[in-house]
Amino acid sequence: MWLDFPVFASVAICCWLGASALFFTSGKKLMNEIAAVLSLAGTVVLLVFVTILWMHIERPPMRTLGETRLWYAIFLSGIGLVSYFRWKYKWLISYSLGLSILFLIINLQHPETYDKTLMPALQSPWFIPHVIVYIFAYAMLGASSVVALRNLFFVPSENTIKGPIQMADNLVYLGFSFLTFGLLFGALWAKEAWGNYWTWDPKETWAFITWMFYLVYIHYRFRHPSEHKRAMGVLAVAFIVLLICWFGVNYLPSAQNSVHVYSE
Amino acid sequence: MSNESIRKTWTQPWSYREGTIVTTAILLLGFVMQAASGGVVLRSAGFPWNLIAGLVFLALLIVAFVLWQKNPVMKWLGGVKVALPGILGFTFLILLMGFVKQDVAPQSGLSKLFGLTHIVHTWPFILINLYLMILLGIVIMKRLTAFNLKNVGFFLNHFGLFLVLFSTALGSSDLQRVRMNCYEKEVEHIGLDSSGKQIEMPFDIKLLNFNIDEFRPKVTIVDNQSGQIVEQKGKAQYEVLDRNLLDLYNYHLEVEQFLETSGKVGDSYFAVNEPGAAPSANVKVTTQNGGSVVSGWICSGSYAHKPEALKLSELYSLVMLPAEPRKFSSELNIQTKNGKKVTTTIEVNRPFKIDGWTIYQLSYNTEMGRWSNLSVLELVRDPWLPVVYFGIFLMMGGAAFLFITGKPKNGGTDHVA
Repeated sequence: MWLDFPVFASVAICCWLGASALFFTSGKKLMNEIAAVLSLAGTVVLLVFVTILWMHIERPPMRTLGETRLWYAIFLSGIGLVSYFRWKYKWLISYSLGLSILFLIINLQHPETYDKTLMPALQSPWFIPHVIVYIFAYAMLGASSVVALRNLFFVPSENTIKGPIQMADNLVYLGFSFLTFGLLFGALWAKEAWGNYWTWDPKETWAFITWMFYLVYIHYRFRHPSEHKRAMGVLAVAFIVLLICWFGVNYLPSAQNSVHVYSE
Repeated sequence: MSNESIRKTWTQPWSYREGTIVTTAILLLGFVMQAASGGVVLRSAGFPWNLIAGLVFLALLIVAFVLWQKNPVMKWLGGVKVALPGILGFTFLILLMGFVKQDVAPQSGLSKLFGLTHIVHTWPFILINLYLMILLGIVIMKRLTAFNLKNVGFFLNHFGLFLVLFSTALGSSDLQRVRMNCYEKEVEHIGLDSSGKQIEMPFDIKLLNFNIDEFRPKVTIVDNQSGQIVEQKGKAQYEVLDRNLLDLYNYHLEVEQFLETSGKVGDSYFAVNEPGAAPSANVKVTTQNGGSVVSGWICSGSYAHKPEALKLSELYSLVMLPAEPRKFSSELNIQTKNGKKVTTTIEVNRPFKIDGWTIYQLSYNTEMGRWSNLSVLELVRDPWLPVVYFGIFLMMGGAAFLFITGKPKNGGTDHVA
């Protein structure tokens, strides 16, 4: 099934490139609408692919890094579109689509050898909510970091930052609530699977560190609503931690032999 | 900022500077204590001492808050400026855990001295946890005394976290975890804890039946010289034998017969159902350009039988990999000391609860695979669990609150932080 991936991925990438180009070049309402439709089409194409894949491999496609990148591309492009409708910032959707395209290209470069087997520990009703909620949180927080970087480097004055910073906050609050759910779902599942809700396994440790960094951001914003630059700095660093948690742990010596990482 | 930079340290109002100093001091004190203790792995006291210590802690915290509520230091302790350095200090320890492999024998003198391979059982970890609980307790009381509905999200998040930290810190010593090796048709009532000590359980367990349901085995192509799996970019490395026709590498496979459990007689395999019988398949392999045809049997082998590969060319062979478990389960007959009798089936992700114990399916004799007559169970008693769960559910409520109402106003949202 992954053998058809290049076809689906190319269609999605073309849709998204077209959407970004239209968003960038044209100010006309009709063109923007066409761009939004194109963006949605790309996401739908990937959703179709993931559905077929799911049926074909007879297990949720959420076990390998490549599979999580696929979900990430779907969610991020979706979040980009929703925030476009909410805030009308064209740059955010273009960045989101750009990031989604990047993840699809990574997948194209590392073709998956799909595997139908799923170890018994992963066969649980918790599996799908745990992973989906997490990847969704990652996508939200990824988008917030894009906003943060833009706020750090491209926003000239205090007057124009209000909108973008509210957007960063909103994305972080949504992302953080999903992150918390993912963490707690994981704890409840772990208790059900092996009698321990928390074992400080490397993946758990890094998930916790990620959670702490966003916790710092939220508290800092609460106490210092006008110290934008530092808050945005925290947000940018937090995303690096998140990336370590997602796939960086696979390369850390502390995580060798961990059973909790997404497989390559 | 300018007022803050000319303010002398320890003159009111205290700020981040004092918060950072206190957190650093706590960490340093912790590391010194750890070094002085000679690398002891700390365990807290069990029931009832943990409960008493917890109640004393709560009482002291409440009394201190009531007495010095108006004191500027107490106000500072309930604020972000002390919380942030505290959170960062805690994060620092967790980062250490993230980079240093935990629960292994320390490799260097330094990590042995400071307990870096067992951070959660060291003084700095315990002290900073205690510190965070004090801060959380104070900020919760501070908001409670000025309660209004807007604080619900705040309360759920902070009190939930407080309960989780509090109950896991105190409850860890009451948690019992033992392994039990159960053999089919035999009765067992002794478990082994992590140190290998025998523990008498309050019930007898008889393993009636151990069952494994396996995936169809996978086949792959290996290099005759190296024995390694042949990789080809963009193509599947293995295929599961769940269809009659499959493509692998540059070959086309036609499965003529598949036997789930089989034995070899002469040159062929026949279906048998006896311990050690292994899966096998009779396959016809053609090269994809329609070239040479090879056919024969492949077998994954087992503890009792040798595997069999099919040589495809001078370079490559087709092999069958051992089947992977889809599901394994144990049918148990449990008889408690007070005469209760239950028959139940447990499997991974489906434990069974009885008399305060939860029985988990852990493992089996993996070498024997589907013919294993051993089922390894794990039994856990965690009396503080309801409190932890209550905390977790409060935090979930808090997360939901954040999701629904966390719309930012001018910076941050006071509902939650």
